[in-house]
Amino acid sequence: MARPANPHAMAPSRPGPTRTAPPQVPDDFWTRPRMRTYLLFDATGVVYLCVGLVALRVAWALAAGPDAWQALMTSFSHPLYVAFHALALAAALFVGVRFFRLFPKAQPARIGPAKPPPRPVLQAMLYAAWGAITLGLLVVLGGIWPS
Amino acid sequence: MKALLLRLEPVIWLLFGAGIMVGTLLLPGYLLTVALGAPLGVLPAHALAFERAHAIAANPLGRLVLLAIIALPLWKGAHHTRALCVDLFGNGSDALVGSLLYAIALAGSAAGVLAVLAI
Repeated sequence: MARPANPHAMAPSRPGPTRTAPPQVPDDFWTRPRMRTYLLFDATGVVYLCVGLVALRVAWALAAGPDAWQALMTSFSHPLYVAFHALALAAALFVGVRFFRLFPKAQPARIGPAKPPPRPVLQAMLYAAWGAITLGLLVVLGGIWPS
Repeated sequence: MKALLLRLEPVIWLLFGAGIMVGTLLLPGYLLTVALGAPLGVLPAHALAFERAHAIAANPLGRLVLLAIIALPLWKGAHHTRALCVDLFGNGSDALVGSLLYAIALAGSAAGVLAVLAI
């Protein structure tokens, strides 16, 4: 697994007087805690890709009619689908928690005259939006409103 | 191909960023109801009976939300899966893998537009 990780990426345009060894990826890079979390964050991409494709099936079933919808609901109750959707929920929660912590740190200091709110306020706003949207979907799709 | 991907990078990043932000905001509500709650019988039977589910999805806002749940996770997924492949297997086949993943996201998004318009 040890290999040069694109050794020319950071090279100066002209070779300097000091020669440096090309960077190497350590064999056990994926066992380092920060790297592992980073790889896990990237790996949620595979789950999101599948969620998007399955959601496409939901839309086609709604377009196709009641029988297709019923067949979809029956197939969604299969243990494999249930396990996949539980994994997708865990992935979405993981992405949300990690990204909403990262997002305030990635804001520019100001955009023209506007300054972003303080980091804790911005993070609280993101969580409030997440909670409100989830609650809204639960109310509408859960059959509470409109009844 | 690599040059084309670099040129498209701003558009891809826009869709990827929207996928992380909007996709993640929408997914728990969708997964808890359509994907898990209704099939497992946790929700009342009428909640996602065909007529009601169809009426919600046929609403303009419903169509928009459903399209966001289809298309945005595809772009987030494609870009992060590409990054994962680079991390694990190196840069060698990045252009091929990236193109393939973005092609899936593009085709899925186009199919999503057709599907929500057909509802």
